[in-house]
Amino acid sequence: MIRNALIKRQRVIQKIRQFFEQQKVLEVQTLTLLNTPTSDVYIDSISSTVNIDIGMQSTQYLHTSPELEMKKLLAQGSGDIYQVCQVFRDNEYGERNSNEFTLLEYYRLGFDIHQLMDDMVSLLQVLGIKDKVQWFSYAQVFSQYADIDILNTDLDTLKIFAEKLGLSADFSWIEELQMLLFVHLVEPKLKELPLCFIYDYPKSQSALAKVEGQVVHRFELYLDGIEVANGYDELQTKSEYEQVFMHETAKRKQLGKFIPPVDVSFLSKLDNPLPQCAGVAIGINRLLTQIS
Amino acid sequence: MANYSTSQFKNALKLMLDGNPCSIVNNEIVKPGKGQVFNRVKFKDLITGKTLIKTFKSGDFLEGADVMELDLQYLYNDGSAWNFMDLDSFEQYAIDSTAMSDTKGYLVEQDMCTVTLWNDNPISVIPLNHVILEVLDTDPGLKGDTVGTGGKPATMNTGVVVQVPLFVSIGDKVKVDTRTNEYAGRV
Repeated sequence: MIRNALIKRQRVIQKIRQFFEQQKVLEVQTLTLLNTPTSDVYIDSISSTVNIDIGMQSTQYLHTSPELEMKKLLAQGSGDIYQVCQVFRDNEYGERNSNEFTLLEYYRLGFDIHQLMDDMVSLLQVLGIKDKVQWFSYAQVFSQYADIDILNTDLDTLKIFAEKLGLSADFSWIEELQMLLFVHLVEPKLKELPLCFIYDYPKSQSALAKVEGQVVHRFELYLDGIEVANGYDELQTKSEYEQVFMHETAKRKQLGKFIPPVDVSFLSKLDNPLPQCAGVAIGINRLLTQIS
Repeated sequence: MANYSTSQFKNALKLMLDGNPCSIVNNEIVKPGKGQVFNRVKFKDLITGKTLIKTFKSGDFLEGADVMELDLQYLYNDGSAWNFMDLDSFEQYAIDSTAMSDTKGYLVEQDMCTVTLWNDNPISVIPLNHVILEVLDTDPGLKGDTVGTGGKPATMNTGVVVQVPLFVSIGDKVKVDTRTNEYAGRV
């Protein structure tokens, strides 16, 4: 049994490597142990104190995703790159979450999210996932499954909606309530769809993706209702990243969470902005459960 | 009653929801890649028996439900209530028909039952998985018939109707599975 599972995992990763080799996407390996923890509001880094005995004590953080380190390479002219690596996150536990898991992260220069989603469909087909692909914008799924005009409904109106359903409504930020309603009303319905992309999230959920009008060019992949991947049209300039980090830090402060120092080593690499590119992180452990 | 936070949620924990005591059937932790942790919880309403799903954010609290399960012996029906006794304390409980729901057809005097109390009031009675009932009425029996030929309805001494094999006759004692209302053998 264990050997079969290991063989399956090896085959899937081999096929991923072949897929990228054919497309001339370069495999890279970036640092796992970083000087700066993630500033992502809802992702917590695991830390460790190192070099105590040699009198050079410092705190290091296991990466929660290789994103910023890979973006340093992109900014320096690496071209298309991918990485398969273990990542580590604190406070993640459950049926589908754990403190350590495998990510495939890749960036394609000149792609927008729609080109990247198409590229992912080719990758999934190579891996044996050949189900009918369905695409929905975030607004479409909310309209279809919850009858909510999610892009044009404000926080107070969403609170009334949540209260009617007997759900928590005690939120400071609209994105949290949008996510709660998504988890409660939309996600269970996605179980009926074998392969589904949801794209164009509300700008309140921008993360590190490009905003255009009311929406942000971000997508997620769901296989049988399970969130497997999260991709963006990537922000390019130093000032855009600085703004996001400041915003995240402010939210962490408000939540009483640990305030990470700004990742100066990342920002210093962005004097040359990133090339226009789209990138995605795919959870390999979750993906493997969907491959027979 | 104590409050329970989402981190204390576990299967079979009894909580108050929309004014009714409910029992957690399943507690799924959902962590969107870019969002906070939610608990998607499936509950069984202990009064209506209905299943409901609610989603909580991590750190939410719910009030515990003062629910207790007792093993009681069924004594008798006095016309308006069903009477039970705790064999350890000899305390008696009179339960009216709302809490009895479908179980009254399986109550046999002297049998043990699981009675759920909420705020000291009985809200449900679960009989033994198998009970012995007497056939009060059914079509005449046929000799030589065996189990598995479809059978016939039989009314038991408690009023419940069970599909039985053709050879079962009036006055026979049969074993009935109370979870499925199926014939489980002749005694």
